[in-house]
Amino acid sequence: MMTTSYHSSHSLGRSNLRAELRALRAVARREWTIFIRYPSWVFALFLWPMIFPMMYIFTGRALSGPDGSGLAIFTSASGATDFIGYIAVGTTVWMWQNVVLWDVGFALRSEQMRGTLESNWLSPTWRFSYLLGHSGPQLISMALFILVSVIEFGLIFGVRLHGNPLLMLLVVLVSVPSIYGLGFAFASLVITAKEAHTFVFLVRGLVMIFCGITFPISLLPGWMQSVAMWMPQTYMIRAARAAALSNASLGELLPDLAALLGFGVFWMTAGYLLFHWMERRARQTGAIGQY
Amino acid sequence: MSDWAIEATNLVKRFPKRASANEEKPSTGGSAAPKRRWNPFGPRPPKTLFTAVDGVSLTIERGEIFGLLGPNGAGKSTTIRMLCTLLEPTSGTAKVNGYDIIKQANDVRRSLGTLLAGERSIYWKLTGRENLEYFAALYHIPPVYIRKRVTELLERMELTERANELVEKYSTGMKQRVAIAKALLARPPILLLDEPTLGLDPQAARHLREMISQLKNEGHTILLTTHYMEEADQLSDRIGIIDQGKIIALDTPDALKQRINQKEIVKLEVAGWREEFAATLRALPEVDNIIARRPGEADLWEVTLQAGNSRAVLPGIVEGISHNGTRLVNLNIVRPSLEDVFINLTGKALRD
Repeated sequence: MMTTSYHSSHSLGRSNLRAELRALRAVARREWTIFIRYPSWVFALFLWPMIFPMMYIFTGRALSGPDGSGLAIFTSASGATDFIGYIAVGTTVWMWQNVVLWDVGFALRSEQMRGTLESNWLSPTWRFSYLLGHSGPQLISMALFILVSVIEFGLIFGVRLHGNPLLMLLVVLVSVPSIYGLGFAFASLVITAKEAHTFVFLVRGLVMIFCGITFPISLLPGWMQSVAMWMPQTYMIRAARAAALSNASLGELLPDLAALLGFGVFWMTAGYLLFHWMERRARQTGAIGQY
Repeated sequence: MSDWAIEATNLVKRFPKRASANEEKPSTGGSAAPKRRWNPFGPRPPKTLFTAVDGVSLTIERGEIFGLLGPNGAGKSTTIRMLCTLLEPTSGTAKVNGYDIIKQANDVRRSLGTLLAGERSIYWKLTGRENLEYFAALYHIPPVYIRKRVTELLERMELTERANELVEKYSTGMKQRVAIAKALLARPPILLLDEPTLGLDPQAARHLREMISQLKNEGHTILLTTHYMEEADQLSDRIGIIDQGKIIALDTPDALKQRINQKEIVKLEVAGWREEFAATLRALPEVDNIIARRPGEADLWEVTLQAGNSRAVLPGIVEGISHNGTRLVNLNIVRPSLEDVFINLTGKALRD
């Protein structure tokens, strides 16, 4: 057995920005390692992109009639000729937000239930890194998810994306702060409430109805359209459809991208402030160690 | 830098607690109050404050093992959670390694290696090595040291051969050793160990106690909480006995036991013990602090009592309990243990 004589009042740790960045990378690597050790992710990656939209695609086919004549009405209302592509984009954005609410939203709660949250909290690492680091692998898995969705819709339903790939990527990137900011806000509330199912069901239900994942929001009553304008997912879906299916230019996308950036700043700030509030409250109530 | 490794002054922690509907109006009759039906629209019971730690003051010298001994719920873990910055005290102050636990929380965390929640504090889906490398990064250990330090600790914990296996395949003792290695990663000057041997088999617990002694010899200051009196007795330089959030005695183990040295501890094994015997024994001269417990399913009770002069009261004891088939199976007069000190101070056993 090895022994080390030890008489210092200082530890080996040296805190600085580089050490914080290494800690952030360690959180991301840990999360990715654990993620791939549960093999069910492979099924989720390949099956989920298809299962959820199929319900709407077959409903659309049924409603359009045997000769597809009903689609003309849909096209005149939505401006989209490819109704499957229209649904695919809407449902993919919805699933992205849904998965982030579950995954990032439950990031701290899962640690709390596992018993590891306290041992992370005891280190000198900046605590917001635990959420940021958790989101890294989540973002990679969602990028894979979107890629698989595009391939599967192309192969199975013949959906073709006509837009500039860089603009499509830009829409995705500009959507990230809103989607993940909302996830961070959720993560902090979940630690406090110890339950999130009700809120997740509420938010994803609102997105499903108000943001037009399978239909144009012009069909909604006026007040619902007004509500939709306060939800970033409305702009994500509209910008993604325009970029992927209508070959829109950067100039045409700019208003939606600007709105998304605004929402992104709002939700990231809200997420951070809620996290800070939760952290402080947890120190007073001992909530971190409770499950 | 402060002379003390840990210095706590009048630490208080209160938690808000909502009284249950039935607590609101205590029953005045002899029978239990009927359960009130839950009404979501009715008034909510008022919040009350539960005091978990009530004015704890202590100083721990550098290089010392300080044991905080008390029954479950006495306030040991809450005290340790305040010292390691997980909890903010309601009032009072504390310094760890000279740093204020509120104003310099990050410096406190850098000074500490903490073992809380034992085996649950590490990732079971990572290997032992991955766990240590991960926490080394969290403790801001420069990369140049990480590999060497992790290898050194795996070796020390006798985990090298299974370092690359998932922790979920480890035994409880091995998981606990990974958790301890995690606490030692940054070579912190102070270690906080909360119930380190809880749930371990006797051999693993003995191993761990040896390791704790060794860590002290290497210069670490150790604050240890436990409800195992033998563990506190064996390891600690000084012991604080805590009950209901208050430190009720603080001294070296020998000095604590010395306090009741004028008393003798009589341990009986009795088949068929009955509650009324306690009153009979208490009526004997200089007999007090009678604790009876049944360790197993069989009707065999362990009864401990403290007596001024055991020889004088032994006949009375034997006579007092020899009724209606009750049998004295064994009788010992023993040196006072820390548990007897606790009984003497509180009138109840540590495991109550």
